[in-house]
Amino acid sequence: MLLRIAVSVFAVSFVGWIALSLTVVLGRLWYDARYRNPSVSVSGRRARRLLRRAARPARTDWGSWRRVAALTRLARARHSAAPRLLRRALEDPDPAVSAAAVRGLGALGDEWAIEQLIDALRRGHVSRSRVASQLERLAPLPGAQLLRLLSDDDPTVRFWGATLLAGYPEIGGGSLVALTRDEDPNVRAAAAETLGERPGHGAADALLALLDDPEWFVRVHAARSAGHVVGAAGAPAIAHLLSDTRWWVRTAAKDALRALGREAVPALVRVLGSPDRFARNGAAEVLQDIGVVDQLAVQDPQSQLLARIYAAGGERLREAAELRAATRARAEAA
Amino acid sequence: MTTQLLTVVVLTCLGYLLLTNVVAMVFILVGAVENAVRRHDSRSADYSTLASSRFTIPVSVIVAAYNEEAVIENTVRSLLDFEYPEFEVIVANDGSSDGTLERMREAFALEPYEVFVRRILQSEEVRGIYRSAAHPNLVVLDKANGGKADAWNAGLNVARYRYVCGVDADTVFDRNALLKVMRFAIQDPARVIGVTSQITTAKNPERMLAAPPGRRPVDSEPLMVYQLLDFLRAFLNNRLAWSRLGFMLCSPGGFQIWRRDVLEEVGGYARSFTCEDIELTFRVHERFLRERRDYHVHCLPDSIGVTEGPDSIAKLIAQRERWQRVINETVVHYRRMWFNPRYRSVGLVGAPFYLLTEVLSPAIELLGIGSLVAAAALGLFEPVAFVAILGAMAFTNAALTACAILFDDLQSRMYRRRDLARMLMLAPFDLVLYRPFIFWARLKGSWRFLRRDKGWYKFDRNVRAA
Repeated sequence: MLLRIAVSVFAVSFVGWIALSLTVVLGRLWYDARYRNPSVSVSGRRARRLLRRAARPARTDWGSWRRVAALTRLARARHSAAPRLLRRALEDPDPAVSAAAVRGLGALGDEWAIEQLIDALRRGHVSRSRVASQLERLAPLPGAQLLRLLSDDDPTVRFWGATLLAGYPEIGGGSLVALTRDEDPNVRAAAAETLGERPGHGAADALLALLDDPEWFVRVHAARSAGHVVGAAGAPAIAHLLSDTRWWVRTAAKDALRALGREAVPALVRVLGSPDRFARNGAAEVLQDIGVVDQLAVQDPQSQLLARIYAAGGERLREAAELRAATRARAEAA
Repeated sequence: MTTQLLTVVVLTCLGYLLLTNVVAMVFILVGAVENAVRRHDSRSADYSTLASSRFTIPVSVIVAAYNEEAVIENTVRSLLDFEYPEFEVIVANDGSSDGTLERMREAFALEPYEVFVRRILQSEEVRGIYRSAAHPNLVVLDKANGGKADAWNAGLNVARYRYVCGVDADTVFDRNALLKVMRFAIQDPARVIGVTSQITTAKNPERMLAAPPGRRPVDSEPLMVYQLLDFLRAFLNNRLAWSRLGFMLCSPGGFQIWRRDVLEEVGGYARSFTCEDIELTFRVHERFLRERRDYHVHCLPDSIGVTEGPDSIAKLIAQRERWQRVINETVVHYRRMWFNPRYRSVGLVGAPFYLLTEVLSPAIELLGIGSLVAAAALGLFEPVAFVAILGAMAFTNAALTACAILFDDLQSRMYRRRDLARMLMLAPFDLVLYRPFIFWARLKGSWRFLRRDKGWYKFDRNVRAA
């Protein structure tokens, strides 16, 4: 009995191993022969098959992916039927199919496709971040069409409009400034981020006002952008955020002050005497990062300012500075 | 009486073997579906848009390094070379006693800086933080030795981004590894809290990765080939199915992406276990299922990196012994999940599967081998029956391995054709050339688990050709 079972299992598994091995080897030979020089264009019988698949709603996962593959191929090949099929697929309840339609429209990239993508962004029936990625990739073509998103009733649409305008420094400045007073904090944050790339248009005042926003993530974006737009004049207000209750806001303030470089030094020096430990630490860290500590350590090691920075940053900040100085001295001597 | 008892034991062990193989085949069928879906998903993905988009979620990559002087530079270079819009690399040097830190200092022009970071998770003292003059997105922590989990926790305190990716210092990655895996997380960041992907193994990972897909060479030594086949089976025959069925219980330390807020919420990596990766995965599942939250931990079939495999039997046994121990520690620690419907498929299938095929299997296999030998000595079975049983086991194993090779080739078309053929030919001999060492390692690991041994027993790195 045992022998019979063992021999049967042996025979089945042996045949299975042979069959699977042949499938691997022959499948690979077939693949290498077929896809060595993949062609982008589709025509004839292959095109008809792809058109059939792309048009047919799928009932299973498998059918859904076949449809996705067909839509992708047709869009890449810019087949004449692609726009019609993509528009239909954009409405499909299957997220895989609608996502493929978004990618396909991005691949087409013409005026009609951009119009469809903006419409999809407004309606929100497909993932807006996917649509936004395609619109961002197609810059500068969408351009002025994005402006109308800024006045949409839906705050999510206004958010994406403000975010996408980052690629167009010449348009929408006034509207973005207005959006810094939007009732939705996500919109205010997006407007702040985009204004960081465009000085003027009253952006500086708007960003400085947002540094006191009740929402912490708005303050994060405002701090980073104010550093770019307002410059040294904004440093004291940004340095004030070094004592913010939120760690992320303090980090954003440090980033902004670091980016300002030497222009931020006066504001940072004032914070060295702050009663808030986080603020003192942060100011000392930024002064270290922008090279003030290293410069003083070499040129004026006994300076009072250096002593104040060390007092604010702690013993380890001093040790790190001394190590850097020693390493550089060794390198120069060598 | 003895004869009857022996017969019962032998038949029970063969029944166990049959059951595990049937379960393995069910997983293969489910994995085949998952593999096909992911393959189509990946082929229609728009990687170029993702690679350049501002909307691609940034990632903090954390490397825990302990005495990794030989490999650390290549690993960090492969990480810095990622094709991804925004990421940082944090290396936590866990009190190495070799030249790991010196090697990095020279290779990446590191300079000490004081950085004030959050201390959300406990870790041993961070002695210094270094930044690279050449790579602004590289941060190196030098900390007192506290183990890999401790090093990762220290890295997490420094991490700035929403997703964190824990990697091993002995693994090198494809340039698009992060893109391939994060593409999946970005599709549904609210639900996808953890993702991992297939990692392979080689004696010299850099050599394997240097070749383009389709021409990747497989090591010539059978020991390395069998380890590669083992990895392929683990990922493609098992984890894909677990993923689809909702109980992906092992995000390996070699490459695991987690949403940072989840790691902070569950308290980071556990320092009280021999190894941290599988325990963390269990803990996340336990927490989210207990609180009835909607979530997903996923494993993808894409081959994204190569880890260094032990090139000698002694090293292999040391590694696998440790793996066995940590599995035992974790599965036993989370015993409240076994067969508990509250934990859905994790409690009803995943945890019991681990118990049956990992924790109990060394004991059952030992019993089976012992009883078979005794049965042979007593003349209970004819020699031909033994040969048939061995043949059945060898070729069932080979068929399962061939399935994994097929899945991998369908997914990635990674290896040279001649290497595919060699792997297929070697598969039936796995039972005699490789499994005995793994069996011994698992026995040793189980014994050490019973003795509550939690040592790491790190083995020396392979010697690479210049």
